[in-house]
Amino acid sequence: MFEFLFEYRGFIVGTIFIALIATVIWAILYGRNLIRTEKSDAVFGNPERALGGWHWVMTGVSAILIVWIYFSWDAARAFNPKAANELCQVGKLSSAINPIRSTFPLDDGFLKGTSLLVRENKQLNELADQVERLGFSDAEKSQAKETIDLMRKAIIGMTSPEYLDSATDAKFKEIVSRIDGLTAKLADQNYPGDPTAEQIAAAEKNPRWGDSGNEIPAAPASPRGYKFDAAAKEMKTITSDFSKIRNNNSNFLAQVEKLKGQIASLDTLVKASPGTDELLIANRADFVKGLTRVLRRVDDGNIFPPDALNNIQNALVKLDNEQKSQQGGLRYYDILMMPGGEIRAGSSSCSEQGSGRWLPKPSDTLRTFARISNPEIGYKGYPLLWYKMKPFGEMVDFIIPDFIASLVPGDYPRHDTNGIVTPNFKSKVRDFATGNFESFKVPMPSGHVWDSLLRVLAGLFFGIILGVPLGLFMGLSRFSKGFFDPLIELYRPVPPLAWAPLILTIFGIGDDGKIFLLFMVAFAIMVISARTGATGTHLSKIHAAHSLGATNRQILRKVILPNSLPEILTGIRIAIGVCWGTLVAAEMLAGTTGIGFVENVARKQSDYEIIWTTIIILGLLGLLFDLMMRWVIDKFIPWRGKG
Amino acid sequence: MKSMKKILGSLSIVALSASMATSASADVNVAYFLEWATPNQIAKVEKTYDKALGEKVNWVNFATGTAMTEAMLSGDIDIAFSQGLTPFVNAVNANAPIKLIGVAVAYGAGGDCVVSTKSGISKENATELEGKSIAVPLNTMSDYEMRLTLSTLGVDIKKVTLVDQEPADAAVSLVDGAVAMACGFGENSLSKMKEVGKSMLTIPEKTEAGITSFDIVSVTEKFAQENPEAVKTFMEVTAQANADFAKDQSKLAIIAGDAGLSVEKTKKQMAGFSFPSVEEQMSEYFSKDGKVASVLPFMGKMFATEAAPAKEDYSTVVDTSFLK
Repeated sequence: MFEFLFEYRGFIVGTIFIALIATVIWAILYGRNLIRTEKSDAVFGNPERALGGWHWVMTGVSAILIVWIYFSWDAARAFNPKAANELCQVGKLSSAINPIRSTFPLDDGFLKGTSLLVRENKQLNELADQVERLGFSDAEKSQAKETIDLMRKAIIGMTSPEYLDSATDAKFKEIVSRIDGLTAKLADQNYPGDPTAEQIAAAEKNPRWGDSGNEIPAAPASPRGYKFDAAAKEMKTITSDFSKIRNNNSNFLAQVEKLKGQIASLDTLVKASPGTDELLIANRADFVKGLTRVLRRVDDGNIFPPDALNNIQNALVKLDNEQKSQQGGLRYYDILMMPGGEIRAGSSSCSEQGSGRWLPKPSDTLRTFARISNPEIGYKGYPLLWYKMKPFGEMVDFIIPDFIASLVPGDYPRHDTNGIVTPNFKSKVRDFATGNFESFKVPMPSGHVWDSLLRVLAGLFFGIILGVPLGLFMGLSRFSKGFFDPLIELYRPVPPLAWAPLILTIFGIGDDGKIFLLFMVAFAIMVISARTGATGTHLSKIHAAHSLGATNRQILRKVILPNSLPEILTGIRIAIGVCWGTLVAAEMLAGTTGIGFVENVARKQSDYEIIWTTIIILGLLGLLFDLMMRWVIDKFIPWRGKG
Repeated sequence: MKSMKKILGSLSIVALSASMATSASADVNVAYFLEWATPNQIAKVEKTYDKALGEKVNWVNFATGTAMTEAMLSGDIDIAFSQGLTPFVNAVNANAPIKLIGVAVAYGAGGDCVVSTKSGISKENATELEGKSIAVPLNTMSDYEMRLTLSTLGVDIKKVTLVDQEPADAAVSLVDGAVAMACGFGENSLSKMKEVGKSMLTIPEKTEAGITSFDIVSVTEKFAQENPEAVKTFMEVTAQANADFAKDQSKLAIIAGDAGLSVEKTKKQMAGFSFPSVEEQMSEYFSKDGKVASVLPFMGKMFATEAAPAKEDYSTVVDTSFLK
């Protein structure tokens, strides 16, 4: 229904974004102007100073929308819908470079070889410390120490440039020249040549950014895109060749072989005279295992002389600078318009990471909202808010208890030999009570929102009906205060969510459990507020009524109840808020319908658009209830705060 | 670009929280499940992983595979051990940069659908489930299993009321009689369910229906790119732990303690598990028309939504290079 709007979303969002910024600027100027020109006698602290100011309302709303549109990258998409596709190609290249890049101290941290060296030496030190504590014989001790020393030497052998063999060095040089070659190609305007027919076909098949979910079109579609895509493919082969290079100079290999022999002989030596202490035996075996593990990591040959890789690092820096300059304006667009995250290329697709991921774009969210609002689609086959034609009988069934049929004397009819059942009075009553009769149909609201709403209203209703009288009497009677106070004060401070698992176990997964939970929440709040209201009544008013001859009942109805109304209505306002909070959690624990259920299921599929839709629905409903309560308060107790 | 971006990003709280979440620590962070007994828990408790990797390994337990994915995307978790295939597929459909690198557990009885005896339903009259309720943690392996079970038995899933509950809660609902069938995983929950009911399908019947349930090892692409040796070592230690356990089960108590189960329940659960060796994984699961290649697209379509449509090709998210 709104699909045509979605078609032009770029233009619409862009216009709205600029309009919002203009609104903020205008409102600020208008506000300043107003301050200068307006004459007001109200002193500080006079509520009159807070009257008016609708331009600030507009500024506030606009500011929220600007932040949302900006951080969800909706503005970025509106002004440059192709940016994500190009950044995806850039992402492919950086993801291809990443394995080499992460071994160098380019971003942060140590050279990988350095951290490996530190790590292995640390472990060797720990092993050396253990030697004294393991109760080795002198021969064993000296052998163990010798092994550790040899291992240290092997590591030194890897780091000293004189042992680096020429073959490895040649491989490094080759990598450098290939990276340099790639840098030169990136700078070349004609690289990688015209796109092939396949590439063009793939580019044409690209969906638009965000057309289906959070999809970013992956196939390159612009000259810059083709360039980065081709460079990424080439870089991948360079990276995989680089990661195969091992420091296997002959000196090191010989040392490793010797070490293997040493450890094996140490192992046999240790096993030959095990001693008697079981713990010690295990610890000794662990010691030998520890040596083996360090050796296994060392013989990977990932440590090189400190300066051997400098050329590669320089080549990488050059490549990095070149690809940055090749990005051109795109880079600044990325920085300015797509804050708080990046577009990352994965093995199968590109994705928005950071705020772009979990903060869906307003235009997409609105579209999802419109889509699931369609009663034909809904969520999990159930509409959000719609109506359903229901037979009148169902309502009769709901209101009239079934047991009245059992009260009618006599038995239910049996079928006769022809298989015909003749209804009698008892069965007719039963049919009526269970709603089992032909009746006209009435439209009844149904859907996730309605179900949640009904639960909240039912919980509130019972909470108010039972809580207010009890609260008033607790304020007036010694017995009810003393008797109910401990009961209520014991359960009231417990967070409603703590009750939720228990209540769901007692009542099961139906509506009654959720309503009871909400009732508990509303009841406590209503009791407390009604009680505070009752005790807060001015004694002079009660005395005045009494001396005018009012009965107890009249005092209660005409003096105490009206005087506690402000407290009660504020209590209702609070109870509504807490009820919504509790409801969502209750529906998450056991849900078949309801807004909390929708949100919980969407969460499991990382469907952030639906999650935000539910959040917006909850916010709007909360606002609606609050506005209603404000209206009620204005209507029924206009004298509040003026007495 | 990055530093400038960082400065800009830190200007806002929104971006700040995002960047804080992505700052990964130097240790290796692994996600796992409680109540899910696997031999590598011996290696976990005995710190074999830490020693072999030379790094500190932080094990963080999760209640659902979805939560694992979320933690991986925010950079708090590098490797998810025994993630369900369903949350993985959901994440891949939503374009999350994670990879499948191995099979952790194959199970027939680890997850199950239990139908209550009170309801009088069995697989002969399974269509009576229509109009009744089923408790199941939606979008998990149990959900997948339930859907396949129902379609095997010819039950129309649209006529069934699905109640979204975690296995422990689902067990309570089944005991209370609020639902006719409950699907879930975890030995504590399942044995509670089986007190009042029995499995809908036996293990051979499940196999025949094509219900193959296996959990996987997944890893973030970034971690796999930057630390390939670490990932490889992790898989080696896991394979070694599985092989050791196959020979000698004397350390079962360690697994039980770590999984939070009693020894009997651990035994019972592990009897339904198999831990495929590297060779078995390569031949049975990762071969050209192996289980992974056939189940991934099937499941991808089953859980596809408007926002996260199924992928055309799932082979790109499978990487077996760390197994060799």
